Amino acid sequence: MNKDEYIGKLNKLLRKLPKKEREDIISDYEEHFIIGVEKGRSAEEISEALGSPKNIAKQIKAEYMLRKAEDKQSAGSVFEAALATAGLGIFNLIFVAVPAMLLIAILLTLFVLGGAMVFGGIFITLGTVLKPFLPNFNITTYDGVFGSLVGILYGIGLTILGLALLAGLAYLTKWFYGLALRYLKWNLRIIEGKKRS
Amino acid sequence: MNPQFKKGVLELCVLVLLDKKDCYGYEMVDEISKSISISEGTIYPLLRRLKKDKMVISYIKESQDGPPRKYYQITDLGKEKKEELVAEWDKFSTGVNNIVHEKLMNNLGDIEDE
Repeated sequence: MNKDEYIGKLNKLLRKLPKKEREDIISDYEEHFIIGVEKGRSAEEISEALGSPKNIAKQIKAEYMLRKAEDKQSAGSVFEAALATAGLGIFNLIFVAVPAMLLIAILLTLFVLGGAMVFGGIFITLGTVLKPFLPNFNITTYDGVFGSLVGILYGIGLTILGLALLAGLAYLTKWFYGLALRYLKWNLRIIEGKKRS
Repeated sequence: MNPQFKKGVLELCVLVLLDKKDCYGYEMVDEISKSISISEGTIYPLLRRLKKDKMVISYIKESQDGPPRKYYQITDLGKEKKEELVAEWDKFSTGVNNIVHEKLMNNLGDIEDE
């Protein structure tokens, strides 16, 4: 591979990176080629010694995504980091992305459940309280003084339970996020090691 | 050599070289390649990471023969990290040497006994 071919390949592989970042990386390798030629090596020799652009691009991309995920903790960037890592091998797609998505799905389901409990609780409470004033507004089965009391308590209880579930989930999500980052990092180290051997 | 191991060693070598003087990428590759075989392309991602972790800074300097070069300079944080890595390395290599050496001496002992 000559210099233009090598740089062109690397540039293409890094097209997803911001322009400034990419240009900066490319300039490092251009400099490497220029100095190498000055020192009397052929471009072929230099590209051989540099290693394949594919592996370099993978290393750069994975590091970039991971850093982005660390900088701003958004679900999107974590997902991107997961994808970048997964891109390093099908093996990882199965062992990182699938369990992660499964966990995300479970968390989302529980969030919906928590939300439903809160809303349901408020609904039952209000429905029972308003029943004597709105006879046509017949949404709950709780009747009479005792029945109403049971309905209200049930509604409030359900709301509190829902809120507790949501709070617990928020904590769990945060923990899971940290765990996911650590796991991705660990994976990255393993894969990087494999690529270089 | 184990690639995981090599990666950590490369970081150590880069920091040690930069602690002596400011270098450009090619210079470091050249210097390190004299002693150990590395995949040359991996040094630039490593330098980027060190820069983002504030272990090194970079600046552009004109060169008499050829285009301007990107030099790297170690920071105080980088120096701290270097000391840490050197200490770790010393401890590790001494430990390995002890094991290897002791084994050798035992073998010699065995031979002498026979």
